[in-house]
Amino acid sequence: MTTLADTLRALPDEALAALFRLRPDLVVPVPTDLSALAVRAQSRVSVARALDGLDEFTLRILDAARLTRDEDHGETSTESILTLSAGAARRVDRAAVRSAVDRLRALFLLYGPTESLHVVPGVDEVCSPYPAGLGRPAAELDPETAALVADPAKLRRTLLAAPPPARAILDRLAAGPPVGTLPATAAPGEGAAAPVSWLVDNRLLVPVTEPSGLAGKPTAVELPREIGLLLRRESGPLGPLRPTPPPVAGAAREPKAADSAGAGQAMEAVRHTEALLEQLAAEPAPVLRSGGLGVRDLRRLARGGGLDESTTALLLEVAYAAGLVGEVDLPGTVTARNGADQQMLPAAGYEGWRDGSLAHRWEHLARAWLTMTRQVGLVGQRDDRDRPITVLSAEAERAGVPAVRRAVLDVLADLEPGTAPGPDEVVDLLAWRAPRRSLGRDTGQREVLAEAALLGVTGLGALTTYGRLLLAQWTAGDTRIGETGDDPLGVRPDADGAAGGGSAAVRALDALLPAPVDHFLVQADLTVVVPGPPEPTVAAELATVAEHESAGGASVYRVTGASVRRALDVGYAAEDLHSLFARRSRTPVPQGLTYLIDDVARKHGGLRVGSAGAYLRSDDEALLAEVLADRRLAPMSLRRLAPTVLTTPHLVGRLLTALREAGYAPVSEDASGATVLNRPKVRRAAARGSVANRVTDPLATPRLSTPRLLGIVEQIRRGDAAARAARRAPSTVRGAGRPGGAGPGMPTAHAHSQALAVLQQAVRDKALVWVGYVDAHGATASRLVRPVSIGGGYLRAEDERTEMLHTFALHRITAAVLDE
Amino acid sequence: MSGGPLIVQSDKTLLLEVDHPDALACRMAIAPFAELERSPEHVHTYRLTPLGLWNARAAGHDAEGVVDALLRYSRYPVPHALLVDVAETMDRYGRLQLVAHPTHGLVLRALDRLVLIEVAKSKKLAGMLGAKLDDDTVIVHPSERGRLKQALLKLGWPAEDLAGYVDGEAHPIELATEGTDGRPGWELRSYQREAVQSFWAGGSGVVVLPCGAGKTLVGAAAMAEAKATTLILVTNTVAGRQWKRELIARTSLTEEEIGEYSGERKEIRPVTIATYQVLTARRGGAFTHLDLFGARDWGLVIYDEVHLLPAPIFRFTADLQARRRLGLTATLVREDGREGDVFSLIGPKRYDAPWKDIEAQGWIAPADCTEVRVTLTEAERMAYAVAEPEERYRVAATARTKLPVVKALVERHSADQVLVIGGYIDQLHELGETLDAPIVQGSTTNKERERLFDAFRAGEISTLVISKVGNFSIDLPEAAVAIQVSGTFGSRQEEAQRLGRVLRPKADRRQAHFYTVVSRDTIDTEYAAHRQRFLAEQGYAYTIVDADDVLGPSLPSVD
Repeated sequence: MTTLADTLRALPDEALAALFRLRPDLVVPVPTDLSALAVRAQSRVSVARALDGLDEFTLRILDAARLTRDEDHGETSTESILTLSAGAARRVDRAAVRSAVDRLRALFLLYGPTESLHVVPGVDEVCSPYPAGLGRPAAELDPETAALVADPAKLRRTLLAAPPPARAILDRLAAGPPVGTLPATAAPGEGAAAPVSWLVDNRLLVPVTEPSGLAGKPTAVELPREIGLLLRRESGPLGPLRPTPPPVAGAAREPKAADSAGAGQAMEAVRHTEALLEQLAAEPAPVLRSGGLGVRDLRRLARGGGLDESTTALLLEVAYAAGLVGEVDLPGTVTARNGADQQMLPAAGYEGWRDGSLAHRWEHLARAWLTMTRQVGLVGQRDDRDRPITVLSAEAERAGVPAVRRAVLDVLADLEPGTAPGPDEVVDLLAWRAPRRSLGRDTGQREVLAEAALLGVTGLGALTTYGRLLLAQWTAGDTRIGETGDDPLGVRPDADGAAGGGSAAVRALDALLPAPVDHFLVQADLTVVVPGPPEPTVAAELATVAEHESAGGASVYRVTGASVRRALDVGYAAEDLHSLFARRSRTPVPQGLTYLIDDVARKHGGLRVGSAGAYLRSDDEALLAEVLADRRLAPMSLRRLAPTVLTTPHLVGRLLTALREAGYAPVSEDASGATVLNRPKVRRAAARGSVANRVTDPLATPRLSTPRLLGIVEQIRRGDAAARAARRAPSTVRGAGRPGGAGPGMPTAHAHSQALAVLQQAVRDKALVWVGYVDAHGATASRLVRPVSIGGGYLRAEDERTEMLHTFALHRITAAVLDE
Repeated sequence: MSGGPLIVQSDKTLLLEVDHPDALACRMAIAPFAELERSPEHVHTYRLTPLGLWNARAAGHDAEGVVDALLRYSRYPVPHALLVDVAETMDRYGRLQLVAHPTHGLVLRALDRLVLIEVAKSKKLAGMLGAKLDDDTVIVHPSERGRLKQALLKLGWPAEDLAGYVDGEAHPIELATEGTDGRPGWELRSYQREAVQSFWAGGSGVVVLPCGAGKTLVGAAAMAEAKATTLILVTNTVAGRQWKRELIARTSLTEEEIGEYSGERKEIRPVTIATYQVLTARRGGAFTHLDLFGARDWGLVIYDEVHLLPAPIFRFTADLQARRRLGLTATLVREDGREGDVFSLIGPKRYDAPWKDIEAQGWIAPADCTEVRVTLTEAERMAYAVAEPEERYRVAATARTKLPVVKALVERHSADQVLVIGGYIDQLHELGETLDAPIVQGSTTNKERERLFDAFRAGEISTLVISKVGNFSIDLPEAAVAIQVSGTFGSRQEEAQRLGRVLRPKADRRQAHFYTVVSRDTIDTEYAAHRQRFLAEQGYAYTIVDADDVLGPSLPSVD
């Protein structure tokens, strides 16, 4: 019997190269020799990787190879595989089986000559223990069942005698997997367990113990292989085989209609993204401590954009992946909320993106979507710890998502333009193409289809022309690696488009999108309609002078008194507004609008607000005129507001002084107009005691009160104790921690138990003890303490010096000596 | 890009460029499913609502057709999501059907069992559904038909009502197009015919036509179509008498066949005209005149000025679902926002036409709307400035400064019949004195009112001062000028109704004038702007002038 290493060794160079091409992971890193290569090729990881890329049919053929191995050498042959897979009915195309075997051999999952094929051992470890959904042979399971199986006539009779519910269970197990779990509670012979009991009693099913179950008590039943094969008479021993991929029919759409719907959606996606980012710019959202944006912020953004939450989440994620949104540290540390020291804001690349054409902006988003490793569908669900997964948080990160996207879009791209397959068809096809990869991913695949529709990559369910081009660019090779290399910040979103009007996808989309318009229609009800996507200047002007009402293919604005006032506030004059409307409007400007602008402009600025440090008022206008003309008061920068009122930026006190110095007689008044009397304020230092109050007899001894004396005594005693404690600890304690220094001739273990005895005695005697210990940093130290208690592995003791209760871990104590 | 006339917005509004060559075809295509919201001069706005889409389904349009119309006429790509939404919304209609069961009477039948299970669980339907006949059928008591339909609509699963209508007691009614009593022959105008046809095809519903466009004739034609006893509900007695006059003149009905059921008379005849007021009159907390609804087996119920329908009548209407119902109005703008109830209880909007279109066809007089802003005197400004907030509108609206302006306007149109309309009685009396004109107000008796109106129609009185009672349903065809001095705050439909007073086509196709006099820089101006919104959306462009322009070189002299 040849080993895989021998087989590989015998291969010509080209064949080895071909293997490496099929399984590139074998040469990363380059194996030292062919034995190492063979080991790696049989390893679980590498085999699993090779299996992942195989379609359903090839995997079934591999199962057939596993089933047909003979027991002695583990060998099989193409012929026996063919026989098994064709089954009695011989419906399966032999050529298809042969080519599947050839694929497996090319991958060296099967090796050896056709008449003695070996299955690489790793396959059994990676694959299900039940090849092709068949159970173990009866002989391995139960002797009585084996006996039954050995008697075909009896077996058939028993099967035919099975009551319908039992037969249903058999059929389900025969379709695979062949193991069914027993209901945990049901007693045998009752309810759902009854048919199973019948089957077990008749030896058609064998109770087995699940690997996870408790030993001894069978928790599951297994259908023996032979019975399974018998039940599969109709469909063949391997079950229903699909040598060719399941057809994807799908509804046929007019490709133009699909393109148009997709382009409309693409426009929406770009517009909504911009609206969301504008909202973020106006009111930045705090970043949660666990990353991402809170549910409430998401809801707010969704409401503001008129979107549902899942769409909002998708657009935010895409914008983030496209580098249009980023976190920024909050200036300063004072925050009202805990941990919210970062905010989500439009990033530096946003301005550049916003100024690009619609198609460019869309491409930027769509590319980010294709490559981002985020599964947005998870947002709003709960994670393993039952916490909600928030948008932009780390929990929604899934490295495999781009591959899923690619697989799904490839299915669409392979179809005729305008074909809109149903999600079920796509999922089914993907499950056939790579069952191991698609397992449990169907939700993700459906999400990809939904997201593609939302972003306008597909229209009416079919891949759009520009979507197809975008996909082609993506798959044509990662040409952008080089380009993005010199633009790491992504500040030039349309870097590759600047040269020649954009990529093919951008050009295709551009042709579908409306051209920006630089004019609008003004109507008598003061609405302004921009009949198409507005040019940035028009949009900016209208955003100032009118309220936005409706968006989409066109934009509708309404001019109101408030909006005109806002325009006047930012520096437009009435004349500017008239000329703006006259210049931009394709229709005559209605008289009502002209009147409105003039009317608001007339009132605008009718009230003036300013700040002043102080005012000066007098009923005597001549006196105020005199003050105003007084050169000595020029530094006060007085300004006349009215014949009877002057103001100054300086404060009241300064103005009063200046006026008085100039010989006027002002008085100050308070907010209600009442005169404020202003007496000169006398300044004084803080109060201090007088010597005169002191005890007059300089000879009298100072008298000390009893509590004070007791306090002094206490203080001295304490000082004494401290001084004694400061003495050096006995040498036994000091040296105990050092290796080899454990007392004169005393082993460490003995020293430790002696120390414990000393400490226990000290607790009883309330005596002072020198304790030597190793601290958390490994340094030895000693301390004079009065032990209080020992328990739970800890010594609690009072340090008289610091009057603190210390806790020492007993295992750290190296020595204890009573203080003499 | 198709370059079509329609722009589809993501908030489900449709902008139709009127001057586009395909605009007419496009309007025909989208009218069945989109509601006309605004129709100013250049761009009309339609809106896609679930209700509108369901009505389209009820009228036999399918989602494919709607999507196709949008795609065909749209100038720009239509977002995929919107198309999906349209299809899904339309798909919800008719999963439930109200049908007449041969043995169990009215039943709710589900074509989609899960929907029935969903709605049966809803609290809103509690008590409306009876016993289950089988998994897909539930008995419904006939009296719950209206409420059930209303509730299902709110749940988003509108039921298709296939139970049909009772024919009612037959009564021969024909349109008298030959002309009677020496009148010349006439025929229904094209839009009136279309309105009646789409009403009759739909069974029940609301017809929206501008004031003066001949809504009474639509009612008469509907009666001629039904040929059954008819109950007509109107706003007041004078309007009822106008209906009666018109019916006698335009149909085969005679004086004896038409009864008046009002505060003054209680006649029940094959065709009975009742006022809202008498129906909602209560004695001892009970509605005493509700028996009228059951007094005869009515084949048709007509609601005039349906936008004014009082809330109690809504409730009675819910019980009348088996009878054909026709609502007539000029402005389906309810200030109480209950348009939805009108639609679900009386029926969907069956016909609507932009005012300017009918004006262009010459059926209503072209009108020139002018807002005259008067500058208050210093004293008045001071009075306004210190007025209590709830008094401010009254102070601003009744400023005496308005009087000379009104006088000047009346003098300018001395050759025309002028109506001066106001909301405050004191102000009306002042106006009456200043203009030396009679006043019609709430306390004026019906007899006196009729006398004054007749004199006005005959041209014996050239100027009439009327209060809010003149808002509706008074037919003064020769009035060519209306001057509004004050109103009910910012009511849009009041403004439209008042304009309607002068829209009846004039004998010599004269231009009608509508003036509204407001005080500058006060809340009066703000309310005026709000009031004008509906008409501005119908394409009536207001010109704003200063009082000085009206008064000429001399300044207003105010004492």
